[in-house]
Amino acid sequence: MVKKFVLVLLSILILIPVLLLIVQSLSKRWNYGHLLPKEWSLRAWDVLLSEQRLTEAIGWSYLIGILVIILNIFIGVLAGKALAHENFKGKSMIETMLILPIIIPSLAVAMGVHFTMIRWGIADHWLGVVVVHLIPTVPYSIKMFRNAFDQIGLKQEEQANSLGASKLYIFYSIYFPQLIQTIRAVVFLIFVISLSQYALTAIIGGGNVLTLAMIYFPYFSTVDDAVMSSFSLLFATLPVILFLLCEFVLRLMNPYKRKFR
Amino acid sequence: MKKWFKKNKWMAYLMPSFLFPLSITIYGLIMAIKESMTDNTGFSLQAYRALFYDHAFWASYLYSVRISTISTVLSLIIGILITRLLYQKLLKTEWKLLVWVPMIFPHFVWGYMVVLLLSQTGFISSIFNHFEWIQDFSQFPILLYEPFGIGIIVTYVWKEIPFVVLMLLPVYAQMNQQMPLVVKTLGGNEWNVFKTTEWPWVAPVLFETGIIIFAFILSAYEVPALLGTTYPKMLSVLSYEWFFYADFRYRPKAFALMVVVTMTIMTFVLIFFHMVNQKRYRMMKGNGR
Repeated sequence: MVKKFVLVLLSILILIPVLLLIVQSLSKRWNYGHLLPKEWSLRAWDVLLSEQRLTEAIGWSYLIGILVIILNIFIGVLAGKALAHENFKGKSMIETMLILPIIIPSLAVAMGVHFTMIRWGIADHWLGVVVVHLIPTVPYSIKMFRNAFDQIGLKQEEQANSLGASKLYIFYSIYFPQLIQTIRAVVFLIFVISLSQYALTAIIGGGNVLTLAMIYFPYFSTVDDAVMSSFSLLFATLPVILFLLCEFVLRLMNPYKRKFR
Repeated sequence: MKKWFKKNKWMAYLMPSFLFPLSITIYGLIMAIKESMTDNTGFSLQAYRALFYDHAFWASYLYSVRISTISTVLSLIIGILITRLLYQKLLKTEWKLLVWVPMIFPHFVWGYMVVLLLSQTGFISSIFNHFEWIQDFSQFPILLYEPFGIGIIVTYVWKEIPFVVLMLLPVYAQMNQQMPLVVKTLGGNEWNVFKTTEWPWVAPVLFETGIIIFAFILSAYEVPALLGTTYPKMLSVLSYEWFFYADFRYRPKAFALMVVVTMTIMTFVLIFFHMVNQKRYRMMKGNGR
């Protein structure tokens, strides 16, 4: 009984804001005191999609996000494997250290490296933005891959090893298929975090790197709630599209799915 | 040489994560400390002195720590209550998807939703008016842009609870299902069950999650920049503004402020780390190992 009640409450608390955004973005006139808008229209979506810099910003957000994801998977898989399957001195200390990037304020770090990045010539450039986006993301990837490798264990690798499989083939045929669930979660989470970075992108990108957050922020002060709502929904759409794309790629790469279907 | 590499394979595996982002983080922090202690004459602690004599800074400091603490504690408590009650349900895909829904929205977008819901002319106020619980929107309490930071706290708590749940779910999924029954047959109540069978497993994850959330809220710029008041401002907003002031003399102060934030977070981390480690030690002793 209590369980059911809480479950319903939880669903309401999670879904109401999202539904509100959808309704608001489709409303033409929504008078105070009315449960639903009086008139509906697609005007807000028209306004949003005719924003000149929008396509450009979506492009940049995807480019930066995908690069950040690829680097995250590369760094996370290697570190996760080592932390789960190797034993060495100072392991727990190193593990704690690897969380530091999400504990130490990334704002301080971005401000601190800003000058150095100017000297290296990657400030005001997407490359610098990709590098700073690694700060709030990689610790999560490492954690998730570490847990995944923990659960898979070492037995299967040992068996493949004794049968003479190469390192790469072991990864491809044993680890990769079992990591797909984790890769999905990482792609999703990391992309959303990368999309959410306004301050880091503004500091390092210096206004030259136009991600979606960079146009959303100035919009916030406009009074047009319908346009703001459609813009907010767009933020949730991008990760979903990327997720579907990634699903397709993973299916192509999975050595077991391809053959049997 | 080859043998050494084979034995220390982990070093090669961990190298990329040391480079990005760990060394960048540490380098950035060191540079921030250095900048905070440098003005046009060279080494100087003037920025810190100016900071500590600044009333706006102290107001911001208390405001930020209060908002971060309240948000973190609320998220943790509600998160663990929900997880405890519902983990068997939440492990199923369809319900897990529900918990993931808030995760696909950036924090500042969630903040905008809170504005839509809670502003004086917002959705909730509108419903109240529709059912004639209030006659006019001015009767609806002011929940946003006010000095307590309710809007910011609501945004964070709403957004972090799913995160807490997702962090705790694996712990509860792996927990021994027989143990609570043992406690109950021995006459223990619900609290005893939690204290003896769940807490030892949950505590480390809960502390870690708490630290992550606290550090994030104390230093994140986006939500308070959109939902905060003009006075007091949250520390991150203050520092960001000083950093971008045309007057370069504010820069060391911006850095000094971020260094103080970092120290505050590290102090909390050390306290918690100490607590968790003591716990672990006692647990190991209890098991007779």
